[in-house]
Amino acid sequence: MNWEITVSGFGGQGVLFIGRLLADAGFNAGLDITWLPYYSGEKRGGMCSCFVNISDERIGSIFITHPDVGVAMNPAAMKMLEPTVKTGGLLVVNTSLVKTKSARHDIKVVYVPTVEAAKELGDETVGNIIALGAVIANAQVTTTTSIIKVLNQMLSKDKKQLELNKAALLKGCEYS
Amino acid sequence: MPERTLMGGNIAVGEGALLAGCQAYFGYPITPQNDLLEFMARRMPELGRVFLQTESELAAINMVYGAAAVGFRTMTSTSSPGFSLQQEGISYMAGAEMPAVIVNIMRAGPGLGNIGGAQGDYMQCTRGGGHGDYYLITLTPSTVQEMMDLTMLAFELADKYRNPVLVIADGFLGQAMEPVTIREKVKKLPEKKWAITGAKGRPKNLINSFEMNPLDHPRRIKLLLEKFERMRVHEVRYEGLNLDDADIVLVAYGSAARSAITAMNIARKNKLRVGLVRPITVFPFPYQPLADLAERGCKFVVAEMSGGQMIEDVRIAVGNQNEIKLVNSYGGVPLEADPIFETIDLLM
Repeated sequence: MNWEITVSGFGGQGVLFIGRLLADAGFNAGLDITWLPYYSGEKRGGMCSCFVNISDERIGSIFITHPDVGVAMNPAAMKMLEPTVKTGGLLVVNTSLVKTKSARHDIKVVYVPTVEAAKELGDETVGNIIALGAVIANAQVTTTTSIIKVLNQMLSKDKKQLELNKAALLKGCEYS
Repeated sequence: MPERTLMGGNIAVGEGALLAGCQAYFGYPITPQNDLLEFMARRMPELGRVFLQTESELAAINMVYGAAAVGFRTMTSTSSPGFSLQQEGISYMAGAEMPAVIVNIMRAGPGLGNIGGAQGDYMQCTRGGGHGDYYLITLTPSTVQEMMDLTMLAFELADKYRNPVLVIADGFLGQAMEPVTIREKVKKLPEKKWAITGAKGRPKNLINSFEMNPLDHPRRIKLLLEKFERMRVHEVRYEGLNLDDADIVLVAYGSAARSAITAMNIARKNKLRVGLVRPITVFPFPYQPLADLAERGCKFVVAEMSGGQMIEDVRIAVGNQNEIKLVNSYGGVPLEADPIFETIDLLM
């Protein structure tokens, strides 16, 4: 197996964090992993991408040109990812910010209003986890159980955040 | 079972330094190596070792010089503009034969450039970098595991040769995370009889890079040159992949080598006989293995994240008969597998 995943959006949207959750889940499964943050000088508000490779073989390139899974959290990310996702791949689009539709018919596109969905849980900051739920529900990268295990490790000291993130993950899984 | 964990490249350098017994770290913040400095700021005091955030890179390298002179395993880390500032100190240390590890997590230059990863300091790293006749063993990790392993090796080689040793990686590799197996701690550090430790009950030691007598200085340089020659003979390291039947040989280091591996795998799937030489030391450079491949009639593709610097070493190795193509990125932009494969395709 070999998964190439690119998550892209504004710094502050949790782009690197959901990449990290995927990487940790793959690592826990004993797979080879690369996780690469890619951003410019500014942090919040600047463009930010995260490249994650998950493979049962030695991984070559740490950069990803044609992802199996793309997550477009803002319009610039949509512009970058929509043409590059591999045929047969998955594109998750954050419709809270991206108002355009994909013209591609050779990939699966899932539209997720991450901010509105997160607000229903009472906290709009978990929009990224909603998007991650949509990834897991529509591509066999990893399982909700594996991601919840990672969340349990990472957020063990903050029960409230942990429950919120778990709820967001499950809510994201409803989109297909 | 050795511990295996997911770790960032810069952190792996720090962990490697701790395992190798680094006793004193001096540094000044600069992206993209800040997480290494932060890691050392936290961990060195916990272990009762020295951490100092200096007022500049100049101060850092000169404190490294001082710590090395008293016999400490010591290091600094920086990124390209900071590395330029350190050249004077490094030249003095090479002249005074001071062992230390210098880590350069390269970003795009020239000048302030850009914080994106790059390999544009190749010439500066492989040709001394400061004034005078000197070289530094220059190690080039291409995985996070190697960030740890080669940092540990750097401390060994620095002490073995009494010379500063460089570990260079592009900023992408510094910030990337990969699985790492934690190595065993170095238990015994080498004795340093030359160190300045108070001279109680022994003749005094003197550490400097200066000879007043013009007749003495050539003698000192001759000894240095002989030392660099020993490095050339004994310390060449590289990884060769799929070379047995290769018609085209990729040459790449650092994260460019990772992209080259992917390009090679695509080529092999397309029944193209492509191999890879991945230098692990760029000083000393693996001239001979490349010369042998040239003799066999191979063509070469040099993949690097600079305007084209390592290609000059490949040309020295290969001579003028064989075709060499450059595929590169610069200005802080990654070199991806696609253009490397396209360049292979052009050569077929």
